Amino acid sequence: MNREDAKRTLLCYRPGTADASDPEIAEAIAVCETDGELREWFADHCAFQAEMRKKLRSVPVPGNLKAHLKASVRIVPVPMWRRPHVWQAAAAALLIFGGVAGLLWKPATLDQFAKYQLRMVGSAVREYRMDVVTGDMAALRRHLAGGGAPADYEVPASLKSLQLTGGGVLRWRNHPVGMACFDRGDRQMLFLFVTRRSAFKDPPAEKPQVSRMADMLSVSWSAGDKCYTLAGPEDSQVLRKYL
Amino acid sequence: MALQDSYKQDPGRGDLDFDVIVDQFYAPLFRFAMSLTRAEDEAADLVQETFLTWAEKGRQLRDPARVKAWLFTTLHRAFLRVRRRIVRFPEVEIVDTMDDLPRVEVDHVTRLDALEAVAMLSRVDEQYRGALALFYLEDYSYQEIGEVLDVPLGTVKSRIARGLNQLRRIMLRRDETPPSGKEAQ
Repeated sequence: MNREDAKRTLLCYRPGTADASDPEIAEAIAVCETDGELREWFADHCAFQAEMRKKLRSVPVPGNLKAHLKASVRIVPVPMWRRPHVWQAAAAALLIFGGVAGLLWKPATLDQFAKYQLRMVGSAVREYRMDVVTGDMAALRRHLAGGGAPADYEVPASLKSLQLTGGGVLRWRNHPVGMACFDRGDRQMLFLFVTRRSAFKDPPAEKPQVSRMADMLSVSWSAGDKCYTLAGPEDSQVLRKYL
Repeated sequence: MALQDSYKQDPGRGDLDFDVIVDQFYAPLFRFAMSLTRAEDEAADLVQETFLTWAEKGRQLRDPARVKAWLFTTLHRAFLRVRRRIVRFPEVEIVDTMDDLPRVEVDHVTRLDALEAVAMLSRVDEQYRGALALFYLEDYSYQEIGEVLDVPLGTVKSRIARGLNQLRRIMLRRDETPPSGKEAQ
């Protein structure tokens, strides 16, 4: 192994790991013992690698992320017992397993819309960024249309009485989502997310459904070719009054 | 509580304790996501999606030793899905990367803070970035990196080498740029 071969091999070497046990790397390290220039290069390289590794491992993690993650999977997307397919599944299970069905019960998996909902509400809980700050709904619609998000959405009548503060375009699996932010006037915000119904295999029903996630509540419904999610830090009754 | 201990307490229940898994892996997953996206919001979303997927499907995983690789793989796939970049990158040879490997003093790195270091890494081509991020953030072997990224061992090494080459150039360019011309971020 010559000097260039050794450098090439040692480029992928990380000090303080098991990399040195790789036979090829071990051979390259051995070459360093007999080549002063290579030894100097290797020392610099190791220092660089160690420092870079240290820096990247010290990237700060948002303080509330852990709690948010733990809370988020306790989401109850919709009352499960109200879903027809759950009844069908339960009936089938009863037929097959009889009395042991209860013992075999596993929590139902989240569906795709629930993930979308959680992502959108998560954005609002952690940190929402408005692309535009405006109280003019027409201006916001123009901005959303420019970003490919639905712009011809219906704002629930009661929301129109609140102060629009702005909004922006988010993305869900490459589907543009429009976000409109409303100030309730008591230092609390409401967020309306709108996207196209075709983005989901399981869009919400037309009748609004309440979900609880993280520290927020959200109400979701479908209307026309769009899906709406209204999220806010309140109880469901308060949220419903804005529908 | 360690993951293994959590599992040993009740191996018959067929799943691993979610809170223990979050405690153990949310920070390294977030740092990996940050390296890929550079944006805190996007990174947090990716981590969230990863744990949601775990909540859905992770209980099928019986071997606690595989949890970490499973989570990193899932996050990386979610990242690729979001970027619509699920394509096989052509396998490249490492041979031509050595001729012009720039020399970068360790001071270049020492002067950076952690977020600047991530910003540098996030400017490396996407096809090399994942391998390089795992290379630095985790003590994964090249074989394990290959499993997470679903690429052969030779590709892992070539991506790391090429990514490292780019990273060094990015650092040099940054230091050659006058202060007023530095990146806004």
